[in-house]
Amino acid sequence: MNAVDHDTCKVVTPGDVLGKASEISPGKGTYVATDAAGVKLVYAALTGSLSLNSPSSPSDKRLVAEVTGHKAHGAVPERDCIVLCRVKKVTPMMASADIMCVGEKALKEKFTGIIRQHDVRATEVDKVYMYASFRAGDIVKAEVVSFIPILLDFLHPLLAITICSFGSGEKMVPISWTEMQCPVTGQIEQRKVAKVEN
Amino acid sequence: MEFVSPEGLRLDGRRPLEMRQLRAEIGSISKADGSAVFEMGNTKVIAAVYGPREVENKSQQISDKALVRCEYTMANFSTGDRVRKPKGDRRSTEISMVIRQTMESCILLEKFPRSQIDIFVQVLQADGGTRSACINAATLALADAGIPMRDLVTSCSAGYLNSTPLLDLNYVEDSAGGPDVTVGLLPKMDKVTLLQTDVALPEILQMDSKLPIDIFENVMQLAIEGCKAVANYIREASKGVEFDQIFLTYIIPGSQHFKDFRK
Repeated sequence: MNAVDHDTCKVVTPGDVLGKASEISPGKGTYVATDAAGVKLVYAALTGSLSLNSPSSPSDKRLVAEVTGHKAHGAVPERDCIVLCRVKKVTPMMASADIMCVGEKALKEKFTGIIRQHDVRATEVDKVYMYASFRAGDIVKAEVVSFIPILLDFLHPLLAITICSFGSGEKMVPISWTEMQCPVTGQIEQRKVAKVEN
Repeated sequence: MEFVSPEGLRLDGRRPLEMRQLRAEIGSISKADGSAVFEMGNTKVIAAVYGPREVENKSQQISDKALVRCEYTMANFSTGDRVRKPKGDRRSTEISMVIRQTMESCILLEKFPRSQIDIFVQVLQADGGTRSACINAATLALADAGIPMRDLVTSCSAGYLNSTPLLDLNYVEDSAGGPDVTVGLLPKMDKVTLLQTDVALPEILQMDSKLPIDIFENVMQLAIEGCKAVANYIREASKGVEFDQIFLTYIIPGSQHFKDFRK
């Protein structure tokens, strides 16, 4: 059994033993499995440099082992994660959007999400006019609700249109919860506007 | 035909327990998420990995883990005679399935539900052991793509000709008609993920087609040792260690299984 290695520059490959599960807790790029002797060990799952970080929670005194590869693999949208998408198509009942970023990470290849009429806002859900909330090309921040197909919702005030552009190509400025204005022409269009973060 | 000379040399000058030269190159295809070129002697294989990405065919989506797709093709120029049908023929479909199952056992699929990982392997030059070279190349490509895995799967083949177990068969030895065993191994876990064997037909060899179980075990053990030797090389290559010099593996005569089948 290898002793726990405290050298933070050590390069590990998948299958390398990082330590006992009782001594270190698995972080990103690692996994836990039981070896032939029945001991629970933490193994590396990626090729990269090993780092032992301070414990994540005060109740868990174990060091957190993390392996960071030179290339982060593409993120996959999970339930309850905030994603940034571009609206592709708007119909009276739903809108479809290409998910481009998961949290802070940009995706190499897009995933497709669907926005249903009753997921747009919390009140008066049947009276939502989709075309007054989104247009094709808008950048939208949403929360993933479920999968097959990926459903997005906007119940949180921070979520909704963050960037949209008018026909002239100018980025529009939010002026209220439901309207955005083009700074060049002064024209107002209706959208579901996100709360501006300070 | 003599495959092992009285002095103990094979047709290409190797010893029976000697592997061919290994060479790996990572990141050759910049557009792919991960890629690798792997050479075992004259056999040259290129692998490209795309993923995890959205499943194209929603009906095939798996709710709790990733879907792995694998495609094995041989370039038209890979063998002596121009290959008529590079993909879609029975052998390619079978090898695609074998590589897919081997990689599925080592990728941590539960981390990417509802997504897909594509592995494409193409044989650029075939000189025996293409299956093994493809698995080794796919492992390197997956490591290059940063896809979490349990361990680096490695593969090697071994056979039995002129009453001698031979490691890492080339094309001539492979087509000689003797039995050959391909093993896929998780070296750190010491677990076998792939075991395929091809037993000779009596018409070709004019001898009994049965392969005695103790010889089979020896040949399989030899292939497993070969896998471990490949694993050492792959581990260093995936760390980015510059490995331009020729890497030869020689299983030392003092090792256990060598004594076993020397009568």
